[in-house]
Formats: sequence, structure tokens, C-alpha cells
Amino acid sequence: MDTSTVNIILLIFHYFFFVYSATAIASYMILAIISLVETSEYKKKNSFVNYKEILSSRVSPSISIIAPAYNESLNIIENVRSLLSSHYVNYDVIIVNDGSKDDSLEKLIKSYNLVKVDYLINQQIPTQPLRAGVFKSTNPAFEKLVVVDKENGGKADALNMGLNISKSTYTACIDVDCLLLEDSLQKMIKPFLERTDVKVIATGGVIRIANACTIKDGKLLDVAMPKKFLERAQILEYMRSFLLGRMAWSRLNGLLVISGAFGMFDKKIAIEVGGYDTNTVGEDMEIIVRMRRQMEEKRIKYKVAYIPDPLCWTEAPDNHKIFISQRNRWTRGTIETLKTHRKIGLNYKYRELGLLSFPYWFIFERMAPIIEVVGIIYFGVLLALGSIRWDYAFVFFISAYLFFVIFSLVAILSEEHTYHQYKKKGTGFKLILTSLLEPFIFHPFILYAAIRGNIDYFFNKDLKWGEMKRKGLTKEVISEVVEQK
Amino acid sequence: MIDFQYIFEYFNGAPLIIQIIWMVSCVLFVTAVVLIIYLKVFRSHLRKNEKIVKTFQKKYEELLITYLYAGVEDEEISSEQQSIINKLKSEIKNEFKREIVITTLLKLRNEISGEMADAIQELYCQVGLLDYSLIKLRSSSWYIIAMGIRELTQFNIEKANKQVVKYANHSKSEVRKEVQLYLINLFHFKGLDFLDDLKVSLSEWDQIQLLEVLQRSKDQEICNIIPWLKSENDSVVIFALKLAEIYNLFETKEVLLELISHKSENVRINLMRVLNHLSIFEAKEGIKRNFNKRNKEEQIAFFQLLENLYDTNDEDFILKQIYNKNFEIKFEALKILKLFHNEQFNNLKLTPPESEFVKIAKFLQNN
Amino acid sequence: MNKKKIVLAEDNSTLSLLLKFRLEKEGYELHMAEDGKKAIELIEQEHPELILTDIMMPFVSGLEVISHVRNTLDLKTPIIVFSAAGQEEMVLKAFNLGANDFMGKPFSPNELVIRVKRLLA
Repeated sequence: MDTSTVNIILLIFHYFFFVYSATAIASYMILAIISLVETSEYKKKNSFVNYKEILSSRVSPSISIIAPAYNESLNIIENVRSLLSSHYVNYDVIIVNDGSKDDSLEKLIKSYNLVKVDYLINQQIPTQPLRAGVFKSTNPAFEKLVVVDKENGGKADALNMGLNISKSTYTACIDVDCLLLEDSLQKMIKPFLERTDVKVIATGGVIRIANACTIKDGKLLDVAMPKKFLERAQILEYMRSFLLGRMAWSRLNGLLVISGAFGMFDKKIAIEVGGYDTNTVGEDMEIIVRMRRQMEEKRIKYKVAYIPDPLCWTEAPDNHKIFISQRNRWTRGTIETLKTHRKIGLNYKYRELGLLSFPYWFIFERMAPIIEVVGIIYFGVLLALGSIRWDYAFVFFISAYLFFVIFSLVAILSEEHTYHQYKKKGTGFKLILTSLLEPFIFHPFILYAAIRGNIDYFFNKDLKWGEMKRKGLTKEVISEVVEQK
Repeated sequence: MIDFQYIFEYFNGAPLIIQIIWMVSCVLFVTAVVLIIYLKVFRSHLRKNEKIVKTFQKKYEELLITYLYAGVEDEEISSEQQSIINKLKSEIKNEFKREIVITTLLKLRNEISGEMADAIQELYCQVGLLDYSLIKLRSSSWYIIAMGIRELTQFNIEKANKQVVKYANHSKSEVRKEVQLYLINLFHFKGLDFLDDLKVSLSEWDQIQLLEVLQRSKDQEICNIIPWLKSENDSVVIFALKLAEIYNLFETKEVLLELISHKSENVRINLMRVLNHLSIFEAKEGIKRNFNKRNKEEQIAFFQLLENLYDTNDEDFILKQIYNKNFEIKFEALKILKLFHNEQFNNLKLTPPESEFVKIAKFLQNN
Repeated sequence: MNKKKIVLAEDNSTLSLLLKFRLEKEGYELHMAEDGKKAIELIEQEHPELILTDIMMPFVSGLEVISHVRNTLDLKTPIIVFSAAGQEEMVLKAFNLGANDFMGKPFSPNELVIRVKRLLA
């Protein structure tokens, strides 16, 4: 191969990386601006909303909170109590004990005075069968609680059982260890009720990180900044993603994912599309794409809405092993979902879903880690060949670094202007420091996890959900056990 | 020692693209520094603010409570009260403090009724907050107009009616909603006249808000809802149906029967509930006639109606429906069969024509 | 003469202050709590003659306060409950748990005083 061909190849690579980075940065900027506008409009509109009336209305719609649980014995009582203390009136809580091998069920029966009841299940979605059965409480203070004990089938299967059992119009699917604030349900149901021009099929909520926060008896007492860099970096990451990303997608009606930790769905539509897919680890993203697809195919105007208020607080991994396992799973979930629904990609029949959301997700979410790693390898190759133009490289790195730092700073500022959850002195400084160090300390782990995810997806089909061992909602995670199926 | 000469030469000698990116980087760097400084300043500002707000809140709370208990007989304003009024008058000249005073007044106003509530309203007018609210109505920002209308609603200012009603057709839905809430909060059912010409849809959320306010008002004399049941606007019809249900408006029976063949599914589903609640027997035949053309939700709602208003004429219908493909309908039909034709139900149990019958029958047997 | 003690559990500080003022004028001794947890502590500490509690409060709800007083502490102390308008379900639950009287918000402070006097007569 002569030098001119090599030069051409190198030039193509250079242009490709340049264009990719420039497009990525431009898209982040556009999304950030749209997000900020949308959030500030939401806050203005929201200041006029009275959430009290719906609490006492006899025509308020019914909601079922569905929370799958697997070996959650340590905190299950506390978590259920928190779920039962929502201020909404017309709702029930369905805990699906997914074949737990511990004493979750016994603990629940004891604490909540449960007895087994006869329950006729309309098996609209096929699931694993019941194990110990369906339980309700004899104590009127806990009449909203339904506990279902079934054979193990995974999170998606447990959610499907919840969908079968629920008699409500809307279902809020959450992770059982998520702390829901008392007015979450009213806020989440509002989009479904207030839009008359389009049908709202699902609403997503913001997930906030509860590590280091004081939680007692199922209530959030105090918000604090955790000490570990890993946790702080995740807080920053969630801020960027939720405040500068998802709000924009919601406005553009291009939201492809609602966090599995907290989302509300129109139950009828969720069941119509067949419920959650038990063959994927990214079931939260997959069901949204499927629901959206159906609405597009039926040519019905619809929307996936988003509530930016901090309503759901959950524990984030504070240990690198579990963190990587979690991100690995997210990567595989994204790949699986995009692959399952590849038909909609660049398909004008699916409008924004196919022409905007899908390509964006594919190029900038799914392919980004791969392109970045290829870039790094490429850089290494050039380094070895001694043909680095240091003046170019240096200035590009500096400008890229500064862009990302500014991004994080804008995210922090928008959080301060909107919800200002971190009130303690010194938190500002900690967040700034985190944003300065993040590209060097945090980002490599994300890349590594994403690459592992890709490798595992293509070469290791047996890997399913990692298992998190818990010590308490605010305490340390002990170790990670990978569950081989 | 930074050699500025070297940097300058380097910069001039570099290719254009590098020059541009270096300039961009400098801009970014400055931006980053500015943002960091702004962040620190803003956070400390917020912290200070919170403390200040708390202090003022306490101060105004005490002033308010003292005012309320410093009154004398004969509705005259005592001297102590007057001094508090004067004090507040000067405080509210500052916008920040004004908002806190309003919040404090409302905090209490929303929880209590009776003479004390009226006294708070009087205070609102005496202190001059009323004038500030009226000024808000003249703003060009929808946000401020809506806030102004809301304050007038919260403090029950009837005399502002003409100024508020001007905005009934404002382009922003938030403003229109505030006008509607003003009208029904102050004039209860008479305030619902806006339904006559409403062109936009009234969302479920809005309907719930309106209904709750109406139910709370002491004046429960409902007006004629029949024109609304015949409205072109489906959401108005649905709202009227809710009113018919909540206030047991039996006199609307004829119109309700006509609505059985309304073109909107949503209307028909809401109608089913009202027919059930008002026990309107005559509805059954009309619905049974084109039962299969209706959607699932309507059909299931109909069964709830049937359970309540069952008579022997419906037996054939039920016997047909127990073979319906939909599980829920099958269940409802079998439930009714068991309730009213127990012998037939038991016969079916012994020789179930379908496997699902066994499951359902067993469940019905035990519950 | 010993003043009769009342524990008031209410998270709205302005309303609390108003009721405190009013009831103290009538000659009662008021102990205030901003949430159910503090209310329970005060009840166990002060042994009041009457309990006034809101239903919707942070941390421990009014219903749990009633349940604690009637079931755990096994006391017959009269309890008046107040809550936001129209929450019939809550009212029923409160009475089932043992509350003596209920006032829906918005309520008239004068009427509350009448009912307090009646229960403490």
C-alpha cells in the first residue's frame, strides 16, 4: 500500500472523527437548549396547578403501583410502607414477589397482616404461574396492598403479572426500593388527564440518587451529597441526562426510554402490545418503543410525557463492579431494543420515531462508545507510528474537555435554578470538582462497561441480570453476584 | 516564565483551523470560569434567600394573627389593627416582601372559613394588595395575568368580575383556566355559563378541578344542564354527564336516552355510568340492540348497569354473552347469571362448555 | 387550677399559630407538633386531655397517630381530626380507628373551639 492511499485513509478517519464529534456536540447543545426552555415552561405552568383537588375527586382515575421484588427481604417492609403512604386516594400497591428465595413473603405477611385470597386472574399476558398465591391485608389501614407470590420469571415477567392482576386504568411500574415522594402519583397522572389533542401513553419521571440521603420510615428527610467520586459522578450524569436531555426529547416527542425505576403507563395499551418482553434485559426501553410503534402504526396522535420534578429517589451503585455490571446491562438492553425494532430505523412511516429518535439513539448512544474506543486505538496507532500532529491533537482535546465541563456546569446551574435539591454548603464546590475530574476518572469506566456490554451481547448470551446485595437503602452494597441462567 | 512572544508567533504561524479552535477554546475557558463563579454566587444567594424568607414569614404570621385577634366589636377596626395595616402597607411596597405576605395570608385563608376568613379578605383589601393584583391584570405577560386572576380568586374579589372576564378567551390555556376557576369559585353554578360557548376541549384534569370547587361551595343550587348535554363540544357533554351523576339529575332522563347513540365513544362510556347511577331502565333495550358494535369498555360498563337493573327480559342476552370471547365480559355475564339464575349457573358448572368457565365458576362460588 | 392540656399536630405553621392563640385565650395549655412523629412523642410525654390532629402530615400521618393512641397506648383521650375537604375515605378510616370528631378544611376556628369545649366538658 503506497503512502498516498494510507494518507487518504488517515484523512478519512480524521474527517470522520471530526464530523462525528462536531455533530455530537452540536446535538448536545441543541438538546440542552430545548431542555432548558421546556423545563422553565413546565415550572411556570406548574406553579398554577392545584394538585389537591384530584386527591378528593370521585372521578379520579385508578392507578396501580406495580413493584417487582426479588430477594428484597432486607428492606421490603420499609419500602412497602413508603409506597402505601402516597397522598393519592384511588390507588393500590401490587408487590410481585418473583420467586424470592428469602423470607420476603413471610416478613410481609407478618408486618401487614396478610391472608391468602382467592383471586381470579385475567391472563391477558402469559406469565410464570403463581407460587404461594395472592395476599391481601385484614387490617383496613393496609387495604391498598396486594402481594403476589409467583414462580421466578424475571423483572419483565413479574411486571406482566402485575399488569394482569391490576384492575386500574393506569399502572406505575417502579423498582421496589425506589422512594416515591407523597405527591408523585398526582404529578405523574396529570399529563394523561390534561392533554385533549393527543393521547398520552406513558409518563416518565426523573430518578434522583438517594445515596447519602437520610431516609427513615420510608420518607426522605434530608438530601446530601455522597462522599465517593463514583456516586457523585453518577449524580452529575443523571443531572445532565435528565435536565439537559430527556426534557428535550419529551418536547420533540422522541422519548425512547422511560426509566424502569419509575414510569406510568396506560394499562390498556401496555397490555395490547403484549406487556413487557421477557427476552431482553432492557425491558423498560423496549416496551416504550413497542407502544410508540403501535400508536404510529395505528396513526393515532400520541405523546410520551415527562415530569422533571424530583419524585423518585433510588440507590445508585457505589462500587465499581456493580456499576460496570449495571452499565453493561444498559448497553445490552439498548442494543437488543434497537435490533428488535430495526424496522423503524429511517423509516418515514414512523415519522419522528423512525427518522429522528431511532437514528439518534443508534448513532450517538449505541455506537458512541465503539467509535470512541476506535478513536483511542487509532490515536494509539498514530502514536506508535510517531505521526501525531501534537498541535492539532492538543487543541482538540482542550476544546473537547472544555465543552464537556461546560455541559456539566450548565446542568448543575439548571438544577439550581429549578429544584435546588442540594442545599448544603460546599456541595456546589463538590459538584464543580466532580465535573472537572469526571472525563478522566468516570468516563473510562463507562467506556469499559459499554465495550464489555457489546462483547457480552455478541459472545456471551448467557449473561442476564446482575444481582445487587443490599444492606439498606442508604448503606453500602456488599458484593455482586452474576446470575447465570 | 510564560514567553508571550513565543505563543504569539506560534499562534500566527498555525493553520487557520487551529487558530479558530484555539479562539473557541479560550472563549470556552472564560465561559467555564464565569459559570463557576456564577454557580457559587447563585447558591449562596439562594441560601441567604431561604433564611430571609423564613424570617419574614414568621414576622408576617405573627402580625396576621395579632391583627385577627386585636379586633373589637362592631366590625370597627381597632387602633392596634390599624397600626398593623399601616405597617403592612409599607412592607408590601417591596415586591419580594409582597409575595411573602400574600403567601402567608393564603396559607391561613385556605384552611379556615367563617368570620376569620372574611377578616383576612378585608385585610387584603385594606392593605392595598388588591390594587397590586389588579395591576397584574394589565401586564403583557400571560404568567403575571394568570397570577393576578388567581389572587383575585383566592381572596374572593367579586367586584373584579368585569376585568377578569375580559380574558376568558385569552390565547394561553392557563389564563383561560384561571378565569374559569375565578367564575366558579365566586359565582358557583352561575359561573358555568362559559360552557355555553366553549370551543376548546375541557380536559379531564380541568373538569376535576371545576367539579371539586363546585361541590365545596355552599350554594348547591344547580342550573339547567340540558343545553350542555346537547352541546357540540364533546368535553362539555362529558362534564354535564358528570354533573348529572353527582347531583342526581333525574330530570335529564330523556336527553340521556338520546345520548345512547352519540357519535363519541368517550361520551357513551361516561353515559353508561350515569345511566347506572340514575337507574334508568329504559336505556337497556337501546344499548342491547347494537351491543356488538360498541367498544369493550362500553360493553363492560353496560354489564355493571345490568347487574343493577336486571330483569327477566335480559335473560336471553346474558345467556348469549357468557360465550363472548372476552374474558372480562364472560366473567361479568356469569356473575349476573349466578346472581339471578342460580340453577342455570349450577347446571353450567356441572357441564362446562368451556375451560374458562371452570375457573370463573369456582371463583364465583367462593366469593 | 390545672389547665387542660391539648396536643395539636399540624404542619401549617400559620394555622397552628392561629389555633394556639385562640385556644390559649380559652384557657387551655397547648403543645404543638409539626408532624405525627413529634405528636406521638408529645402525647406520651404530656398526657393531654385532648388531641387535635391533621391527617396529611409528613413522616407519620394523623391516622397513624390515632391508631397509636387507641391501640398501642390504649388511651381514651378524645381526638378531633381535621383534613382537606372531601376525603371521605380518610374520615371513615379515622372514625374506625377511634377518632371522636372530624372537621373538614376549611373550618371555622370558632366552631372548633365549641367542639373542643364540648369534648372536654
